Amino acid sequence: MTRQLRLFLILLGLALASLATTGQALAHAALTKTVPADGAVIASAPSAFSLSFSEPVSPLVLRLIGPDGTSRPLTHFTLTDRTLAIAAPSALANGTHVLSWRVVSEDGHPVGGSVLFSVGAPSGAPDLAASQTEPTVRVVLWLGKLGLLLGLALGIGGVAFMAWVAPLPVAARRPIAGFLLLGLLSLPVAFAAQGLDSLALPLSGVLQLAVWKAAAASSFGRTALIAILALLVALLALFVPSRSGRLLAALAWLGLGAALAASGHASAAEPQLLTRPAVFLHAIGMAGWAGALLPLAFALRQADGAQALQRFSQRIPALLLVILLSGGALAIVQVERPQALLTTPYGLVLTGKLVLVAALIGLGAFNRYRLTETVVSGLAGARALLTQIIAAEIVIIVAILAVVALWRFTPPPRALAAAAAQPASVHIHTDKAMADISVTPGRTGPVTITVSLLDGAFGPLAAKELRLALSRPEAGIEPIERQAIKQADGSWQIGDLTLPVAGRWTVELEILVSDFEMTRLKETLDIRP
Amino acid sequence: MKSLSLAALVAAFTAGPALAHVTLETQQAPVGSTYKAVLRVPHGCKGAATTRVRVRIPEGVIAVKPMPKPGWTLETTKGKYEKSYDYYGTPTVEGVTEVSWSGGKLLDEHYDEFVLRAYLTADLKPETTLYVPVVQECEGGAVERWIEIPAAGKSADDYKFPAPGLKLIPKK
Repeated sequence: MTRQLRLFLILLGLALASLATTGQALAHAALTKTVPADGAVIASAPSAFSLSFSEPVSPLVLRLIGPDGTSRPLTHFTLTDRTLAIAAPSALANGTHVLSWRVVSEDGHPVGGSVLFSVGAPSGAPDLAASQTEPTVRVVLWLGKLGLLLGLALGIGGVAFMAWVAPLPVAARRPIAGFLLLGLLSLPVAFAAQGLDSLALPLSGVLQLAVWKAAAASSFGRTALIAILALLVALLALFVPSRSGRLLAALAWLGLGAALAASGHASAAEPQLLTRPAVFLHAIGMAGWAGALLPLAFALRQADGAQALQRFSQRIPALLLVILLSGGALAIVQVERPQALLTTPYGLVLTGKLVLVAALIGLGAFNRYRLTETVVSGLAGARALLTQIIAAEIVIIVAILAVVALWRFTPPPRALAAAAAQPASVHIHTDKAMADISVTPGRTGPVTITVSLLDGAFGPLAAKELRLALSRPEAGIEPIERQAIKQADGSWQIGDLTLPVAGRWTVELEILVSDFEMTRLKETLDIRP
Repeated sequence: MKSLSLAALVAAFTAGPALAHVTLETQQAPVGSTYKAVLRVPHGCKGAATTRVRVRIPEGVIAVKPMPKPGWTLETTKGKYEKSYDYYGTPTVEGVTEVSWSGGKLLDEHYDEFVLRAYLTADLKPETTLYVPVVQECEGGAVERWIEIPAAGKSADDYKFPAPGLKLIPKK
């Protein structure tokens, strides 16, 4: 029988059926069998699919949604009795596919559903660290962050020298003021790039108000505000008499710590009671050490330079201890597992930074335990060598800050794990029943769905059965149906499900309250990519 | 593709009255009268043979007398009503609440009818639809539950498993 003839007969049957007043009892078609089976994992791509129904049907829409979310119509099919054989597109990719079908049965009632199957293995979770921002924006963001960090570490850190070591050599003022200005100029650059990055806009979008609003709304907005104040106070400290200058310098130094503690991956980590103070101390210690190098180099040119060097040598171990303890604590929180140091981008950045820091500490230790004494005792050659080593140290510090600025682009393992596990959930409340539905993780890939049921008055709802249907009408995905399994704690669970595409899914619960009572709940749920 | 769009057209024009599912033969009756319910079972559960048919008697329907069926075991469950109903002058507070025919075998490719007689009390509201939930049990543990009662503003067509309905009309 040709397709057209068959359809004509269905049409004729329908016409006759609608003529009869109460009608002959025809039936909705129900899906009785599919190849591949719903939820199946098959070794190699099938060349054909088949759908068998309880009644004769005619297809309305047949669609295959691939693991990458692309949807294609399936137009080659044959009907044999009640089975619909569909030719599969060639070269199906590995991963989870959705065969979405909508057919019309003899009673004229369209029915639809979806069959999930995976070629090779179910689709894994996509890479979260991938960014959508264009490279130039990221380079500008990195440069802006680096300029800001240089301004904070070498500018404010340089001013801090007068707070904890000795008065600033006059010649050091100009380069330090230069770094402070660099920080002030870099701030708007980093700020705008932050806004562009969060909206995933190209560089040309910089004039849009929304970009600046987005940056201000991010935690970096707070950092920027505190940093501007700290930089200005530091600039002021350079030009006021020594007593109030020292006070202002200390204030700017504390402001620097507060600015860096106000945003960033490390400050956002739990436990906040540990991480925020740790970032604060780490920033203060880092800037104190790094910022002292430039004034020291200039001090060594002066006659009283040895005195400043001696004080620095006495006080630096305490500062170094603060840096190492706070940094160590943060690394443990962020990296979680030692192997992540080499296997995640975040860990690699940290490893690179630690190598540079080790070199810096090596040079510093040589200075302190070998050179300082000879310089203090007045050997002429020693001063020149020390100045050279300090110059090398400053280069290393710039390199460290350049590496640290990369962290903006590498979420730490902790954050990646947390973001990946974040469930998508929805609460439905009607006068008949309430449901808490939670999809874990709330993103594409394999998921577990947990449903807790209550009756409309917050009492327990002892359901006999629970079926759940997930559909994504905009993507052409008809309901994927699953029977939930009751858990020991009274909740319901569905484990064997892979969500193929992101976006707003419709979730419908079919709650069998008793043999003769059924309640339906329907809501939408956002699944992340 | 041509046939696809044609089929869509067919669907659009004919998705009217629910002709599917377990249905009642007489779909209209006055309140305050005796009604003979003929339940038509057109198919099994996804191909499996029907072995049991259970009917929940809705509130307001009393004096239920199911018709025995050769080859099937007839059972009834009795219970209290929500209130007292008047049955030709006799106050009635309890009676059959569920009827079950079991032990038979109705193949998917066959058709059968299950019959009961009942009194539609005058307390039922005319111009509404009375729904009679039916559970169809089949071989291999399959179950089809024709038990969904449409919410206000919805029709049986909006549901996957609508309960058979009966339009109530004013007392004659």
